[in-house]
Amino acid sequence: MLEYGTKIVAGVTPGKGGSQVYGVPVYDTVKEAMQEHEIDASIIFVPAKFAVDAIYEAIDGGIPLIVVITEHIPVLDMAKVVHYAEKKGVRIIGPNCPGIIVPGESLLGIMPSRAFRKGKIGIVSRSGTLTYEVAEILKDFGQSTVIGIGGDPIIGTKMQDIVKMFDEDKDTEEIVIIGEIGGTMEEEVAKMKKEGKISKNVVAYIAGLTAPKEKRMGHAGAVVYMGLGTYESKVNAFKEAGIKVAKTPFEIKDLIFS
Amino acid sequence: MKLYEYEGKLLFSKVGIKIPHGIVTEGNIDWKGKAVVKAQILEGGRGKRGLVKVTDDVNSAIQEMRKLGINKFLVEEYIPHDREVYLSMILDRDTAEPMLIASPHGGIDIESSGEVKKFIIPIERGPRGYDVIEIEKYLGVKGLFQVIQGLYKIFTEYDAELVEINPLAVTDNGVIALDSKVILEDNALYKHQDFLKEIGREYSPDSYVELDGDIGIIGNGAGLTMATMDMVKLMGGNPADFMDVGGGADRERVRYCVIKVGSNPKVKKILVNIYGGITRCDEGAVGIVDAYNVIKKPIFVRLVGTNEEEGWKILKEHGINFYENPIDAVRDALR
Repeated sequence: MLEYGTKIVAGVTPGKGGSQVYGVPVYDTVKEAMQEHEIDASIIFVPAKFAVDAIYEAIDGGIPLIVVITEHIPVLDMAKVVHYAEKKGVRIIGPNCPGIIVPGESLLGIMPSRAFRKGKIGIVSRSGTLTYEVAEILKDFGQSTVIGIGGDPIIGTKMQDIVKMFDEDKDTEEIVIIGEIGGTMEEEVAKMKKEGKISKNVVAYIAGLTAPKEKRMGHAGAVVYMGLGTYESKVNAFKEAGIKVAKTPFEIKDLIFS
Repeated sequence: MKLYEYEGKLLFSKVGIKIPHGIVTEGNIDWKGKAVVKAQILEGGRGKRGLVKVTDDVNSAIQEMRKLGINKFLVEEYIPHDREVYLSMILDRDTAEPMLIASPHGGIDIESSGEVKKFIIPIERGPRGYDVIEIEKYLGVKGLFQVIQGLYKIFTEYDAELVEINPLAVTDNGVIALDSKVILEDNALYKHQDFLKEIGREYSPDSYVELDGDIGIIGNGAGLTMATMDMVKLMGGNPADFMDVGGGADRERVRYCVIKVGSNPKVKKILVNIYGGITRCDEGAVGIVDAYNVIKKPIFVRLVGTNEEEGWKILKEHGINFYENPIDAVRDALR
């Protein structure tokens, strides 16, 4: 992140206060870091058992944007965190996500820079590596902003919120959605498009055509319960809304700007 | 982690949900009168496979099922009842709140039943009397307070992903849970070691899911792995599994995953798709070579990203096909 130009002013690790990493000062608590610096975002890499505490600490510290990279946070704990953050007006991205990149400007995440180039497509994704793959496929067009919202059932910021933001973002011309089976966020986006609430062109790819139901496909969120969020349900919703659906990640480049 | 029916029912009895009197056994038992003999397996659809039997001759039923390879049984008293209803609880992903799902028709595949109603029970307050009245009126059944509170308790106190009673029998003596389906959340199992000890289960979560095909699939990242399976299918092949090595996998992890997939006798060829971000291609390549030397099945590796050139060099030295474009790798694997 430092190499990419992200301005990292402080790190927090309990017990490591007073030390430095690559010239960045480390503090024991978020509160101590906030007293010394002006901070408007936090990124959390803390292991799952302790990540919930770290998120609460960042929320209580008054940081308005928190990106949670950590995977395997229990979902009920996360549900409580999400409600708390909403009450405090804090935006969480993730958990279980690769973060945010604005190519050429800033990286708040773990994305490999080679896949990204400054451009006009906004990408929102439930996946990590598949996002890198798609970004690289679309390298000729480049990306305005790429956000991995995370593969968990409960996440801080939903796909529909990001699509809405892309629709209002002057640097984004078209929107790419990388979804997967499980949940109903993709269906919600389709509904917004159908109701005319999104004016920009949207192209979607959904992973999980061959996934059996009630089996979890790696991501905690990639599971179909009660028939909710099947591959067919998402693809049909998109088609009805006039959103083009790519069969493979490679097909996205034929459908975008067409 | 999915629980066996009898383990789920143990949880039911802990939270005050009534269950039939029963015994868990591996062989013949001393039982008088009518009983229900139920095979204890984790797969569903037992009724259709003849693995649930209402009988007066318990031991014959047990011996018959033993011939089918079943070795654990739950024998329960037969409960005469007028009606069956359905109740379950999952987390509503949209509101991030527990959601009770009810249907006046129990005992059947609930997804195909048109009559289902969902009730959100906010986690800040838990189930209240007025929730129960609403649900009772919808189902036309009284006396559900304990069951609903019990479902909620299992859901929140044991970090369940799904708690299902299907069917819940309506009898003259109140409601009784005839079956249980409980899935505990893998990520939260570390909090429930005491319960795992009590039921004698150990569990190491793994992303592996077996499918019907013959092309072994390994990827890094759930989305990329699913996309790889889907590409194989779209290009005319059949994936044999889903296996995600996870983020930042090292040599040992990649080796383990490739061997696990390759050991499936149905797998004829193996397709690996790695896009290295925090995963290093050279580590991955060494793990693949290690596994290849054990498995010796044709392997097709798409490898790009962090340290890709070192990774390619390692694969090349060991005569393993590698690709930059996943479509080329899939095409060759299906040839």
